[in-house]
Amino acid sequence: MRSFACLFLCWMASLGAAEDRAISPAEIAYQKGDYATAVEQWSDEARQNGVSSGLLSALGNAEWRLGRKGRAMVCWERALLLDPRDPVALAGIRHALAAGGTERPAPTWAETYASFLTEDTWLILATTCFWVATLCIIVPRLRRRAASEWNHRTRVLALTLLVLCIPGLWGGRSLSARAVVRKVEVSLRLTPTLFGEPLNGVTEGDVVRTGRPLNGHVRVTTADGKTGWLRTGEIELIRGATLPADLDQKAAP
Amino acid sequence: MRRFLASTVLLLLGLLARAEDRVSWEITPRVTAPGQPFRLQIMVESDVLLGGAQQVDREIRPPRGMALRLSGQLVRPDSNEATLNFSGVAPDQEGEYVIPAFTLRFARKLIPVTPIKLIVSNSVAYQRTAQARAELVLPERTFYVGELIRGAIHLRGGDDESVVASFGLESIAEGFTLAVTADRQPLPAKLGQGMRTSFELTPIREGTSELSLRGTMLIQNTDTPAFGNGNRDRPFTFRRKLVVEHVPERGRPADWTGAIGAFSAEAVQVSKDRPEVGEPIRLRAILTGTGNLDRLIPPEIPGNESWDVLPATERRRQAEEQRFFVYTLVPRLPGKLLTPALRFSTFDPLTKQFSRIEFKPIEVTVTGNAPAQVDLVTADPAAPVGAKPQVAAGLAAPAPQRGTPIFRGVPTLSLASSGAFWSGNGLLLAGLLVLTGGVLYLGYLAAHPEIRRRRRARSIIRSALLEAASARRRGDRHAFAQSAVRALQVGAAALLDAEEAAMTQGDLERVLPGVPRPLLDELFARAYGNRFAEGAGEAGLPREDETLELLRRLQSLL
Repeated sequence: MRSFACLFLCWMASLGAAEDRAISPAEIAYQKGDYATAVEQWSDEARQNGVSSGLLSALGNAEWRLGRKGRAMVCWERALLLDPRDPVALAGIRHALAAGGTERPAPTWAETYASFLTEDTWLILATTCFWVATLCIIVPRLRRRAASEWNHRTRVLALTLLVLCIPGLWGGRSLSARAVVRKVEVSLRLTPTLFGEPLNGVTEGDVVRTGRPLNGHVRVTTADGKTGWLRTGEIELIRGATLPADLDQKAAP
Repeated sequence: MRRFLASTVLLLLGLLARAEDRVSWEITPRVTAPGQPFRLQIMVESDVLLGGAQQVDREIRPPRGMALRLSGQLVRPDSNEATLNFSGVAPDQEGEYVIPAFTLRFARKLIPVTPIKLIVSNSVAYQRTAQARAELVLPERTFYVGELIRGAIHLRGGDDESVVASFGLESIAEGFTLAVTADRQPLPAKLGQGMRTSFELTPIREGTSELSLRGTMLIQNTDTPAFGNGNRDRPFTFRRKLVVEHVPERGRPADWTGAIGAFSAEAVQVSKDRPEVGEPIRLRAILTGTGNLDRLIPPEIPGNESWDVLPATERRRQAEEQRFFVYTLVPRLPGKLLTPALRFSTFDPLTKQFSRIEFKPIEVTVTGNAPAQVDLVTADPAAPVGAKPQVAAGLAAPAPQRGTPIFRGVPTLSLASSGAFWSGNGLLLAGLLVLTGGVLYLGYLAAHPEIRRRRRARSIIRSALLEAASARRRGDRHAFAQSAVRALQVGAAALLDAEEAAMTQGDLERVLPGVPRPLLDELFARAYGNRFAEGAGEAGLPREDETLELLRRLQSLL
């Protein structure tokens, strides 16, 4: 017990030390208005140590300041996938919608529900509940004994949680199936062809819902309900690489 | 001279004495029941020629709840007497009612009238339904500024009287506007004979106000001959205190523009459902319900990249309790487009709740080709020339260290996209299914032991057949008989659910009906005879083929 208390205190102390950390050069650059440096350093940090919601949302802020709406929206949306309540990402998206001229589909009730936890957390929770419920049902049969009251309670609790996870899984799936338009002045096309008839204009930073891919295009639905096709390279899925893709860089042969 | 003065004073005193006017009144009946009609007659005798009284209705002020109207006056031009007749209706509450003193204005003289008292008592027998009467129909609740309140005055005939006309409706409604919408309409059949005057009332300010309505109805006795002139008038008056409030600000939606009532979105229609690009079509939304329909401000529909929206006016006549909102839509792009949604909020005075009315969009297929470029106006036209774009100031301060270390190094793929996750779960599930199947199978075998027993017997018989064939090739009759007898015993025991060693020739005959007993005896003697005597069982003819056939037959039974 004493060793456990010591470990806990050490962990708390390390957290406290983390709070008293020094300001990183990237943050200093951001505060000075050198957003390009901030983006570069935060990107390096993400490649070395992996991403977190705070790092992605900070990167999104810097990208937005540089006028790269698409990259900024990708960063913020990905930050929200990691932490649905990240205040920096939420503020950034609100600002982009209100003053930045971008559009984002209104979340459905399932997406609002799903944003309570991350998609992976919903899946882990649902899987755990499934296995607990399954074992609670099967084990007494294998042992040829009547299920105890504790078993019944656990089974009901697990099944209830599993049912509650279903809309979360559904909403999380549709949340991560969205994409951000990365190109400026893109036309939504009627058909997935090279010379498809333009239907509607979408712009960089707009968030769209994606559907099936076909012929190098993806069927998308815009925030105002218009449906059409966009080229695969014109959008970037929110669930994908940790940092926004560099569309100017040609793919390796 | 002194006598002359005295006589003059006496004469003047006499003249003064004659100058006192005499006023008397009479109410018939003296005591009335609540709501009962009565007649008031005022008789005036003066020392001058009176002529006709003027503006009597303005001078006389009946008490609250009492209707009183001058119905006529009898004046002779050469007489100093006048008789004024009033018709009235007693108040609905019991009590003593006093008509305050007032002044009769004659051409040459003003004559004061003392207060007049009327007693209203419930003890008076009076059949109200026999008389013509007036009823005010107005909801009793809190009203709201801007609301349209529909009310009516029902002039209902009775058993003895019928209403033939009405006139002189006057209203005193401070804080309200009143408009008569229908006058002298026949009453619905269920209310009997009579007339109906409908009106609309709109509160224009908050507070408690009094609505006063009065008028006169012309009634006729039902037993009056058809060409007789038995008409007479009867006044009516209503005073109602109304409480008016503003529509509550709490919970008031931003798109509420003054709609008060109970409405419903009836339908949305378009004049053409397959227009071309640029072809104007008319969108008509039909709203029904009760409330201030006429005062609703048509909701604004902003234009978008699909539609240009222009306001329009409806030429069709609108029915009561129905309102059209009409717009002209010009499609800008081809394809299947949805008309703009039309929505606004209303306030229901009965439930005191706000609700939202929404006309759902309908699909319109727009044909034709899109213009080369659609210019979307996103700049503020009111902004000054050269103004700098608004600086993005809504970003929060970044906190890159935010988040616990467990979120570091998030994989590029989600768990749902991970093959290892699903394959691991699949393997676990498959293992669980195999384990469950195995346990169930073992349980089944435990519940049916004959399966294992017969399986074992089949195995033993198969090996016995092989051993017997081997013994036969060697010429070892004893070994042949031993393996055959053991196989027969095992097979019979499996079929009879008995011990193997206890199986005798009789048991084998039960299992294999028709088997030759000598063959069995010979086999058993050859197999077990040595136990009892050396060389026993060696005699007899070799019948190996028959024995093997017997074993195969037993095998087929298992």
